[in-house]
Amino acid sequence: MADLAVGGRVAGQGQGQSEEGFEPEVVGFLCNWCSYAGADLAGTSRLAYPTNLRVIRVMCSGRVDPEIMLEPFLDGADGVMVLGCHPGDCHYLSGNYQAEQRVRTIWMVLDHLGIDRERLYLDWVSAAEGARFADMVSEFVARVRTLGPAGGGPASREGLSRGEFAFRAEVARRVAGGERFRWLVGRNKALSEEGNVYGEKVSPHKAAALMQSVIADECVRAAIEVLAGEAPVSVRDIASRLGISAQLVLEQAAYLKRRGLIELYDVSGRSPRYVRAGARA
Amino acid sequence: MQASCAQPRMGVYVCHCGLNIAGVVDVEAVRDSARALEGVVVARDNKYTCSEVGQKTIADDIRDLGLDRVVIASCSPRLHEKTFRGVLEKCGMNPFLLEMANIREQCSWVHSGDSAAATEKAKALVRSAVARARLLSPLSRSEGRVVPKVMVVGGGVAGISAALYLGNMGIKTYLVEREPSIGGHMAMLDKTFPTLDCSLCILSPKMVEVAENENIQVLSYSEVEKVEGQVGDFRVQVRRRARYVDEAKCVGCGDCAAKCPVRVPDEFNRNMGERKAIYIPFPQAIPPAYAIDAEHCRYLTQGKCRVCEKVCERGAVVFDQTDRVETVEVGAIVVATGFRPYDASKKPQYGYGRYPNVITSLDFERIICADGPTHGKLKRPGDQATPGRIAFIQCVGSRDEHGHDGAGAYCSRVCCMITAKQAFMVKEKHPDSEVYVYYTDMRTAGKGFEEFYQRGRGEGIVFVRGKPGEVREEEGGSLRITSEDADSGCILDLSFDMVVLAVGLTPPEGLVDLAQRLNLSRSADGFLMEGHPKLRPFETSIDGIYLAGCVQFPKDIPDSVAQAGGAAAVAAATCSRQKIEMDPLGPVIDEDLCIGCRLCEMLCPYGAIKVEKTDRGYKARSIEVACKGCGVCGASCSARAITMKHYSNDQIVAQTRALLEVS
Ligand SMILES: Cc1cc2nc3c(=O)[nH]c(=O)nc-3n(C[C@H](O)[C@H](O)[C@H](O)COP(=O)(O)OP(=O)(O)OC[C@H]3O[C@@H](n4cnc5c(N)ncnc54)[C@H](O)[C@@H]3O)c2cc1C
Ligand code: SF4
Ligand code: SF4
Repeated sequence: MADLAVGGRVAGQGQGQSEEGFEPEVVGFLCNWCSYAGADLAGTSRLAYPTNLRVIRVMCSGRVDPEIMLEPFLDGADGVMVLGCHPGDCHYLSGNYQAEQRVRTIWMVLDHLGIDRERLYLDWVSAAEGARFADMVSEFVARVRTLGPAGGGPASREGLSRGEFAFRAEVARRVAGGERFRWLVGRNKALSEEGNVYGEKVSPHKAAALMQSVIADECVRAAIEVLAGEAPVSVRDIASRLGISAQLVLEQAAYLKRRGLIELYDVSGRSPRYVRAGARA
Repeated sequence: MQASCAQPRMGVYVCHCGLNIAGVVDVEAVRDSARALEGVVVARDNKYTCSEVGQKTIADDIRDLGLDRVVIASCSPRLHEKTFRGVLEKCGMNPFLLEMANIREQCSWVHSGDSAAATEKAKALVRSAVARARLLSPLSRSEGRVVPKVMVVGGGVAGISAALYLGNMGIKTYLVEREPSIGGHMAMLDKTFPTLDCSLCILSPKMVEVAENENIQVLSYSEVEKVEGQVGDFRVQVRRRARYVDEAKCVGCGDCAAKCPVRVPDEFNRNMGERKAIYIPFPQAIPPAYAIDAEHCRYLTQGKCRVCEKVCERGAVVFDQTDRVETVEVGAIVVATGFRPYDASKKPQYGYGRYPNVITSLDFERIICADGPTHGKLKRPGDQATPGRIAFIQCVGSRDEHGHDGAGAYCSRVCCMITAKQAFMVKEKHPDSEVYVYYTDMRTAGKGFEEFYQRGRGEGIVFVRGKPGEVREEEGGSLRITSEDADSGCILDLSFDMVVLAVGLTPPEGLVDLAQRLNLSRSADGFLMEGHPKLRPFETSIDGIYLAGCVQFPKDIPDSVAQAGGAAAVAAATCSRQKIEMDPLGPVIDEDLCIGCRLCEMLCPYGAIKVEKTDRGYKARSIEVACKGCGVCGASCSARAITMKHYSNDQIVAQTRALLEVS
């Protein structure tokens, strides 16, 4: 995971040419009032689109927790669609803005982890846009086809093995479940529009930089937690796995230890080993 | 939550929907794969699950097999979720223990080309529904009150009719109209097809009836600013614009207008005449009170004048009036804000707005009307000469495939009959005149319509099948049209004294904002979307909000009135309910996890979750009646302390996993 600390794409990865007979698995989260109704209209109008998409109905695109957006990637999906009402048309007034905020930040996380952000798609479909919906699904499925299977090794755009992709997706999901990250996602828009508790408005540029640094920290923390989840793992091993300095790992491990999330297991060859809290018992 | 303790007993029902599903999806295979899933005690396929037989099968299984979860794979839950929840309820089961898999709209109907893949997808959708059903909990609905009053927005013939139906049923009704008077477009028409009754002669008595009905309160010169609440209990903020005239005191004598020094183009007469800054749109206006047009009034713009105030013997002019916002509580809302005629100047090829003798069909109604600017004499605007040769051009702003210049792709439905009527009236007044109609197709579906059209043909009106590319002005204000006649194949090159553009009906001004305030969807044509195109034509996607008249789609007066009757009936039915049961989809907050960060409170669009001080510190509390169940709080909570009822993370994750399982 050479890029974890720095972001950007891993060098020398796969070409993303599609595997023979690759059928992308796509999960869609559709809001009840606009996009799900639009999908129904595509049906009533008998507009064909690929069978790859499987839909989960939620009341509002704002219901789609950032963790939920990432969950399909852990279960084998190659692409995820989040579809809501058009801006200004949200049945619940502003849920779609929340969905947009979340997707935008999850994109940053994916970028950071070297997973192609195009695998997570966000768009708006009204209840009247059956044809638009059908086209959108066709286009997205075709797009995912060119990205290749998630974790498809050289046959995928990211060049990540199945195991590595799953690891990174798990890291992303944990980041999305983290308190600091979630608070920032929720406040992001307000921070630049209303200002922080001191009434200072944060420029969008600054807000993005802040988010970027939180994501960098959280990714390392989440990765340590995942790696220390099964068996004790040494700081040295973590550092070499993530391609970052042992110093950085130590700092974040100390933080996790303070929060009671991991504990010191032993010291092996001058490198401390950590394990998930409570795993020893 | 006792139901979720033991292993649930689930029944799965896969619907054929005749051949709608079974024609594409291998229903038996889907049934068999469902049968193999954990917790499924019975899986059946039915011809029509929603039929009485289908429902009875489910009811029998619930009783005989002790089912505690029901999964139905059929059409969209948006169609039949209610029906099937009802079946569960009748059997004494909690209605929220139902889950549906949409294998029609989102499977068989869109994958008819690939049965095998459609069948696999249907299996996955059923698997996912079963996985979710396993985790469903029984929920109890909360109850909301019903305010037995209705608001009708828009005072055209549709709104007037709806208000009268409701008022006569004894239901308190507010009729909100943006203009100083109710009446809408029908008040501007001369005669109405196909019977040629005088429009105001039939409308005016209804308007008077509105004014006299003690259950109806007209809020004229007013607009809806904000809507809160839900079916049975809406709180509507209405902005009542200052009219600077006390409605109760004004008797409509007109002394004020006679003395007012400011002349303004008269929009009621399509700017073909003038009115004063203090005015009444037309003599039969309801309320019968004058209004001051603040934009043009000399006193209100320049600070000097107040002549009207001096001459009004009744002291009805009140310059210190201001806009005020009133909050009205109602249980149901009928939207009847009508239409706007297509702006013909957006089609420069026809010269509307440039050539004075090119007019629209609505201009024509004013010209031919006895109360209009020419007192009913047929005169063309350019030079007040009587036009001897008149051309009508159909479908201006309608049936425009590409929807250029704000035109609709749809047929506006009424314009053919409007032209048939107007051409007939020209012939009636001036039998010697020559009348040509350039049309695409003449559409005369309606009671007595074809007969009326044939009568017009008999009068010697010439119908030319063709859409002229342009209208050119010639010396003396006459107009030249060159067009093919598709029926004879000839090119016709003709000169006319006046051209009437049969403009289409487009969505009314401000509809985008109004739809947003009411949370309503619009169809691709821009009009408001009905609840279901066939079965719920005057309902909307929002419970308690109904549609009447052209705001749903262009229609003629009888259809507008008919829809108003329907909308009034459903609104009255809502008002007659004792209470409204609301779906309990809100948040459950785990106080052990909540850190009181207030994120949920800041993000909830309805103020339905509040952080309060408790003896364990600050904790979030849900305010059930205000909550609409969007789930924004649950998806945002920084401490993941919120679980959404009926759409929990666990349920969604289980669905996702089941969808992606390899079958
Ligand atoms: C030229 C012409 C000729 C016609 N001739 C005939 C005919 O002969 N026979 C026939 O059957 N039909 C005829 N029609 C069609 C007929 O006019 C319509 O069917 C009818 O007017 C529809 O009534 P409505 O109440 O839906 O809409 P409208 O008449 O448009 O009334 C809507 C009302 O709502 C008000 N409103 C709009 N927005 C708001 C808002 N946001 N808040 C509050 N109030 C608002 C408007 O001011 C208006 O008073 C003709 C139409 C045209 C254009
Ligand atoms: S967002 Fe979550 S943690 Fe914060 S106050 Fe609301 S419920 Fe509590
Ligand atoms: S579900 Fe939506 S409406 Fe209800 S409390 Fe949460 S954010 Fe507010």
